[in-house]
Amino acid sequence: MEKDNIIEVKDLHVDIKMLDGTLTPVRGVNFEIKRGETLGLVGESGCGKSITCKSILAINDRKCIPSGQIMFRNEDDTEVDILKMDPKGKEIRNVRGKQISMIFQEPMVAFSPMYTIGNQINECTLLHITKDKKKAKEISLEVMRKVGIANVEKRYNQYPHEFSGGMLQRALIAMALVCNPKLLIADEPTTALDVTIQAQILELMKELQKEFNMAILFITHDLGVVARMCDRVAVMYLGKVVETGDSKTIYANPQHPYTRGLIGSVHKIGGKKEDRLFSIEGTVPLAMNLPEQCGFYDRCDARIEGLCDKAEPELVEIEPGHKIACFACNNPACAAHRAEVEARIKAKEGGN
Amino acid sequence: MENNAILEVKNVHKRFTSKNVVVKAVTDVSFSVEKGQTIGIVGESGCGKTTLGRCIVRAYEASEGEVYYRTEAGEEVDFLKIDKKKMKEIRKEIQMIFQDPYSSLDPRMTVLDIIKEPLKANYPKMSKAEMDKKATEMAVKVGLNPSYLMRYPHAFSGGQRQRIGIARALVLNPRIIVCDEAVSALDVSIQAQVINLLKDLQKEFGLTYLFISHDLSVVEHISDRVGVMYLGKMVEYGETEQIFAHPKHPYTEALMSAVPVADPTFRQERIPLKGEIPNPANPPSGCYFHTRCRYCRQKCKEVAPEYKEIEPGHFVACHYAKELNLRGFEYTE
Repeated sequence: MEKDNIIEVKDLHVDIKMLDGTLTPVRGVNFEIKRGETLGLVGESGCGKSITCKSILAINDRKCIPSGQIMFRNEDDTEVDILKMDPKGKEIRNVRGKQISMIFQEPMVAFSPMYTIGNQINECTLLHITKDKKKAKEISLEVMRKVGIANVEKRYNQYPHEFSGGMLQRALIAMALVCNPKLLIADEPTTALDVTIQAQILELMKELQKEFNMAILFITHDLGVVARMCDRVAVMYLGKVVETGDSKTIYANPQHPYTRGLIGSVHKIGGKKEDRLFSIEGTVPLAMNLPEQCGFYDRCDARIEGLCDKAEPELVEIEPGHKIACFACNNPACAAHRAEVEARIKAKEGGN
Repeated sequence: MENNAILEVKNVHKRFTSKNVVVKAVTDVSFSVEKGQTIGIVGESGCGKTTLGRCIVRAYEASEGEVYYRTEAGEEVDFLKIDKKKMKEIRKEIQMIFQDPYSSLDPRMTVLDIIKEPLKANYPKMSKAEMDKKATEMAVKVGLNPSYLMRYPHAFSGGQRQRIGIARALVLNPRIIVCDEAVSALDVSIQAQVINLLKDLQKEFGLTYLFISHDLSVVEHISDRVGVMYLGKMVEYGETEQIFAHPKHPYTEALMSAVPVADPTFRQERIPLKGEIPNPANPPSGCYFHTRCRYCRQKCKEVAPEYKEIEPGHFVACHYAKELNLRGFEYTE
């Protein structure tokens, strides 16, 4: 593990056994996050981004069988593999909620309607920081103030239904931050909110990130939000990272056909009035019994017959920090990878 | 009614009453729509945009106001006042596409039956074979595979379901379609497909769209004119470029500045909106927006501004619309 990295996900696979086969929502995900940086994980629904982040906290459903490695830098600077921990054991509980915490997509669903907000924020404090209830309340009130909830004494004793969506999302952020985590996983934290509230919450997250010096794994399908929030971007398609790099590079110079399509299909306000939006035809295939070919083959406009339908490209670094998984890229590094795979296919076909 | 207008909404109000509390969901909204145009209606959740759309198709009965509609035969009618029999006849021409492709399709009906249902309701004498033919044609037109029509909705993805919803709305050959957040639940790449489809169909059938959405970049792309709603009132209405490049209402300005732009080098200064949208059961005095407006003056707290035309086709409800120098998006070209 590199020194600056706080987490490294290496070749993560998640399988789900179903009655009619094995579903493979995550098929080899690789990324790393440095201290204090924001990585955006982008992709359409069903591409495996939520399952990936749930694997980091080991809170996936029991049916999900992960494999690979998720290396995390623990409190005492030792490296631990989260996947090796017992999902119900002591070890993971020292990480989950304390060093890595998560903000969920729908604030309305994430809170229990039966307990007051204060009560629910306290739960985390009492588990990880102090057993003293008075102190816990003070800590909770403090963090509620920090996320911009007004009138905290009153709010502390209110129930979730008395909060608006935006306020509830703030409370959820307070709950995630109360233990001062090193890594915050935000799973579509603003998708359910209005643009004006969304802008407020995003700004709040940026401020708090600076203050707490935490890393954020930001999961979203909104490319506008990614552009505003993230230092680096990883684009996922069908359970794999297909392109990763600096967000400025990715937006200015996307290399993978899927990234290009994704960015092209978002209309820019004030830009040229194009008659039609660029659209990627077809839909994401079901991640079950996938043939050995590039996952994007059926929808790709740059596919190479006889190559892309016979092998799956791997992530290749084309510039420092910018990696893509595509045979059709002209970069020398990709061309080398392509030649290698072509030779392999030839050898295999010759053998038959 | 103006000559080329197909729909004219005039002073529409909608009030909901529950336990002696009156919630004004839509207050005094007026605008007119030209044939073949797309009108975008934007605003935050709870601003009454869906209620307005539903009042126009008469899914809700408006409390007050008129919606004039020019029928295919050129006759002018007040859609809100006509009797049931006449309405049934005219409603074929005004259809709706709903937001959630999961809950708007009956899970126990096959896709063919879903698309056929409007025909059954409106043309009881049509033969089954003809209905099947019409429904299948429409399904093909929106990009559904005709061999899948005997399946049930659960077998389709979100984008496909939205296509089913579009086919169902189009099968009666309507002239106006109210799209209530028609693409909001879809992924970006699928969203682009559906938007392109809507545009193609508009060209082919000369449709008029009322496009209700909270996604400003989609609205900017698809609309000819845009209306901005706040707390049940229309605060600004005009040509898309007028609204986006030169907003005249402070709320529009703030809304524009909050849109996340898909370009990391784009630095925008957000205009903060204080607090949250007020309770529509107890709206503020004077201008509804004054509690959150950064240009608020004494007059705004006392007198509600008039909704008036400040330049041709551009309506604003703000006392200081002409004085304020507001910031919008920069248009290149």
